[in-house]
Amino acid sequence: MLWRIAWRNLWRHRTRTLTMTSAVAFSYGLCLFSMGLGDDGHQQMLDEAAEGAGGEILVHADGYWESKSSDLLIRDASGVLATVESAPGVRAAIPRMIINGLVSSAVGNRMLFLQGIDPQRELALRDLSEHLELGEFLDETQRDDPLLLGAVIVEKLELDLGDRVVLTATQPDGEVTRALFHLTGIIETGLIDVDEMMGITTLDAAQAAVGAHGMVTQIGVMADPGLVSDSVAEQIKVVTRASGNGLEVLTWQEAIPEMVGFIEVDDAFLYIYLVVIFAIVAFAIANTFLMAVMERVREFGLLNALGLKGRGVAGLLLTETLLMTTLAMAIGFVLGFAGHLAASHWGIPLSIYGVENMEVSGVDFASLVMRSKLNPMKWLAASILVALVTIGSALYPAWRASRLAPSEAMRFFG
Amino acid sequence: MNETNQETVAPATWQNGALIRLRQITRIYQEGSLEVLALRGVDLDIAEGEFTALAGPSGSGKTTLLNIIGVLDHPTAGRVEVAGQDIGRLSKGDAADFRLGNVGFIFQAYNLVPVLSAYENAEFTLLLRGLPAPERKSRVMPLLERVGLGEMKDRKPHELSGGQQQRIAVVRALATRPAIVLADEPTANLDSDTSAGLLDLMLELNQELKTTFLFSTHDPVVIQRARRVIRLLDGRVTGAEVLATV
Repeated sequence: MLWRIAWRNLWRHRTRTLTMTSAVAFSYGLCLFSMGLGDDGHQQMLDEAAEGAGGEILVHADGYWESKSSDLLIRDASGVLATVESAPGVRAAIPRMIINGLVSSAVGNRMLFLQGIDPQRELALRDLSEHLELGEFLDETQRDDPLLLGAVIVEKLELDLGDRVVLTATQPDGEVTRALFHLTGIIETGLIDVDEMMGITTLDAAQAAVGAHGMVTQIGVMADPGLVSDSVAEQIKVVTRASGNGLEVLTWQEAIPEMVGFIEVDDAFLYIYLVVIFAIVAFAIANTFLMAVMERVREFGLLNALGLKGRGVAGLLLTETLLMTTLAMAIGFVLGFAGHLAASHWGIPLSIYGVENMEVSGVDFASLVMRSKLNPMKWLAASILVALVTIGSALYPAWRASRLAPSEAMRFFG
Repeated sequence: MNETNQETVAPATWQNGALIRLRQITRIYQEGSLEVLALRGVDLDIAEGEFTALAGPSGSGKTTLLNIIGVLDHPTAGRVEVAGQDIGRLSKGDAADFRLGNVGFIFQAYNLVPVLSAYENAEFTLLLRGLPAPERKSRVMPLLERVGLGEMKDRKPHELSGGQQQRIAVVRALATRPAIVLADEPTANLDSDTSAGLLDLMLELNQELKTTFLFSTHDPVVIQRARRVIRLLDGRVTGAEVLATV
């Protein structure tokens, strides 16, 4: 009977019920949607960070990351590459030659951050051909001295596709050398710092340019899905230590700790946002229920006068809350899930919010397209939390209702 | 129907085997810094099967007295017994149990649960007592038929007239077969014909079921239908009259 009374009471006070239900439903739906976006954003940030660093784990000659010295190279590149690939949990190992030098044309010269890459292996981390604006990517050209340059460098040096440029850089032995390249493509990332300095060539061409045949600066490592980069890094340390090479093994978090801080702050803001939503909902519901109790003093007094005990009166109010919460959460789930599906399908580009140049430690976030990622356990936890907050907010009003003296509640005084 | 036989008797000595026994009942309400003396040393005995009116002007203490007998309120001082049990200091939970087991209420404003049908309202107290559905039905339906509302059992209170709602309240009060039915100004919101019909019904049920009826009123027409009248003024019993004997 209490269930029946509770359910009918909800619809007797239709406006109040709809107001409260919509508040809970909207907040819960928004919470689920925000969590979906937040989780996807978090994952994208991790992916972008790993991509920006060059891999989830980085292997260099010992001391390179700190000094960026051109003489600190992995001398036995193929041997170390094979060793790294043999470590448990390694999905891909990506060798790179990194050269800091000067690129010159007939009209001038610019600083250049040149990466010599293996295009096929690089695909395990990123597809750099996405940024190709003009020309051919490395695996499309027939030239053995191809060079892709950032759009800003090309503009400053007044270059056209096919033009020759000269790279001036330091050899591993400290001697300065020059090498000729042909401009085969122009890349544009949208990040000014990158487009002003970025150059890409093949691993072979980069090694030949500085006379470092068989050597690499860096091996980027991608771990198997689901594995923590820390544990894979430890495995790599074990196998490379055994091979006796003087190597440093860093996770991307160790390589760019400021990015970790940025992501933690971003996560914290999301949680604060959710806490604020919950607090507003809880406060609104508690107030509405308290007002409802005050409006219904006579009704509760009557039930008590007829023999329903205080805990029964409280139970009635909590039953109403439970029913309303269930209804609201069902609606909220539909709203949140619809938002999740829409965001997953279409995505929300950060650029539509005017984010044009958002870069942290060389990692571009402006081009991120926010989608929604469903994490069932997190959704379940959020749902339980919303239910607890909603029902919890009715506890005080229910306690007040249970304490009403029936004679005062019914205002008997003759 | 009633044979008038006016006789003034001392309330405390009216009957020795009283169902309800009040001794020196005082009730003081605190209204801010003011003390309101609602009852001032009331002595009263009510015997089983009585059909008695508490008469007096507004503010005389009628409702306060009904509240104390129905354990909706506690006396500030004095002793109140029902069937020999001291009910003046029951806890809230025990008071609710006592009301559920012993008292039926009829209120001036009907006070039906608005979201329940006539039948559901009538069976509400039986449900609280945990009676199974067939027994609830066997108790409620004859009473509904008896008050002429068997056909309207599925109607909600707002679909019934005031008199019909009050008859449902009577059924609800009697469904648990209580020892006492307390009615606070039960006819105050009804027209004279409906009031007369309701009083006839209450009196018939009183005679059929031997249930004790105690009701408050200040309406002289209603007072004349009682078999005994207790007069109250300013929180004191000023007199009692036996108007009729069965």
